[in-house]
Amino acid sequence: MIRWLPFEGVAALRFMREGWIQTIFILVGVSLGVAVTVFESSVLTGVQANFLSRVLTSQAHIVLLPPDEVARPLHAGPGLVEDAALQRPNQRLRSIDQWQTIRETVTATPGVRIIASIASGAALAVRGDATAAISLIGAEPDAYFSIVRVPDYIVAGTLRLTSDDILIGTELAILLGVTVGDRLLVTARSDTPRALTITAIFDLGSKGANLRTTFVAFRTGQSLLNLVGGVTSLEIAVDDAFAAETIAQDLATRTGVRADSWIKTNAQFFTAVQAQNTSNVVISAAVALSVAFGVASVLVVSVVQRGREIGILRAMGARRGQVLRVFLIQGGALGILGAVLGSLMGAVLLLIWHDQVRQTDGTELFPFILDPVLIGGTIAFAAIVGVLAGMAPAMQAARLEPSVAIRG
Amino acid sequence: MLLSGIRKSFNIGSPAEVEILHGIDLTLEHGAFCALIGPSGSGKSTLLNIIGLLDRQSAGRLAIGGQDTSGLDDAALTRLRGRRIGFVFQAHNLIPAFTAAENVMMPMLLNRGWADAGMRLSAEALLDRVGMTRWRDARVANLSGGQAQRVSIARALVMNPVLVLADEPTGNLDTASADGVFDMMHAMNQEQGMTFLIVTHDPRLAKRCGRIIELVDGQVVRGAA
Repeated sequence: MIRWLPFEGVAALRFMREGWIQTIFILVGVSLGVAVTVFESSVLTGVQANFLSRVLTSQAHIVLLPPDEVARPLHAGPGLVEDAALQRPNQRLRSIDQWQTIRETVTATPGVRIIASIASGAALAVRGDATAAISLIGAEPDAYFSIVRVPDYIVAGTLRLTSDDILIGTELAILLGVTVGDRLLVTARSDTPRALTITAIFDLGSKGANLRTTFVAFRTGQSLLNLVGGVTSLEIAVDDAFAAETIAQDLATRTGVRADSWIKTNAQFFTAVQAQNTSNVVISAAVALSVAFGVASVLVVSVVQRGREIGILRAMGARRGQVLRVFLIQGGALGILGAVLGSLMGAVLLLIWHDQVRQTDGTELFPFILDPVLIGGTIAFAAIVGVLAGMAPAMQAARLEPSVAIRG
Repeated sequence: MLLSGIRKSFNIGSPAEVEILHGIDLTLEHGAFCALIGPSGSGKSTLLNIIGLLDRQSAGRLAIGGQDTSGLDDAALTRLRGRRIGFVFQAHNLIPAFTAAENVMMPMLLNRGWADAGMRLSAEALLDRVGMTRWRDARVANLSGGQAQRVSIARALVMNPVLVLADEPTGNLDTASADGVFDMMHAMNQEQGMTFLIVTHDPRLAKRCGRIIELVDGQVVRGAA
């Protein structure tokens, strides 16, 4: 007999061993429930992390833009509006006023990791008879490419962005029939076309983005867009991506320009994440309930089957509390054992799923993340659920009168 | 042990109320070896349950070793029962999840909470005394009725109780096994001086007891004092 366990622990383990068929069945049930929870939560965490990583490496955390131009009513005198019909003006391409000062302010703001000046706008790419409308992004390569990880998506050529170079997407290359080393004629607001050399072709994972997006050097962008000395936006990366909205609001207040955080511009993403998390909680709660009822039903049957033995133990001096704890320990042990086995099953399933299910480009759908906090939390939660599930049968056992129980 | 005016009713307060024991007065002196006999339904098992503190009397007084048990709560009764009373049941009632030796250790384990080497030694000594050394590590399901009853006797004695209550301990045994078990209880009584109260339907065995108490319709008709 194990000496380091009290009577309650020894009896609980022996009862579980003796009723091994019931024990195995309920352990399988608990394990499957826990495996589903661990697998689902891990996949969800992985997919969200992957998506988040893609979102955060393909756009800036905060974008500073010039404020919208608005029409003001014409006042004939104090309190007297001469023409009240206001038409929203079109938003012409223009530079952020005093952008150098704003850039210095932003750079000195705590939490800001890097800032890049951008001159971007619409342009036309021409190759022979073929033309395509493009979005021209003139950027300082060192700063901008450490915010938006374009180098990670290059599929042909090398990343070089001098004043005569251009990076284009795979779809645009197909449309215009060009490849690395070819030259493109690009026309924008300046009316002076520039012939630029394609140094690299990228694949951002979106057909639309691959067709429209092009990158040129910052000064080339300024020149083509007729924005010499100006910037259309300042793009910022911060240390904590989830603090972006707070920092954006602070910057907007202090600089007077528009500051859009990725959190604000991707509100739909957060709604989807919230919906996924809620459904995960609901599924986990349903699993926990079914585990609880499973454990409880097995223990209720066990109490009925062991009624006489409980009576004998009571006759030999077992206190009600001892009988109660024997069944509570069984509930907790079933929960813990089931959770450990279930976590292992969930991890194996996750590993198989991670290896087998890939994105269309062959990259992993989600990173293999087995959160120790999730596993520990699941095991602790399963133990609590097991003990709570054992409460009713344990009380039923403890209430048995020995003379009645022995008669059977 | 002293019983005074013990009454026991069931379904109290309902139209189906029935009184099983009608004022039992009984004294058992220390070291007695008594048989409790009577026809079926006379209240023998009910009386045994009350004496064994497994059930409470509806009225009357019960004292064990000079201690009045009437005012004790469930925890105190359990403690007293575990330390001072041993039980031998008709259907041995060993716990199948434990071995023979572990069953014998059980009252000590329940009393102390944890197992220790001394408990094992005490259990083995008693199993040796009842001739069950060879089967000390056997599962109780593999023991014969006589063997299981010997283990049951060892279990009843392990706490060195003042009183051993045996409810038809030979009822399920053949004659030879029944004699063996009875002889063993008698020997224990002689050697260790503990009081035995044995319910039996076997007049042959009852006659071998020092005292016979006869119960008929809930009243002691013979051997009250």
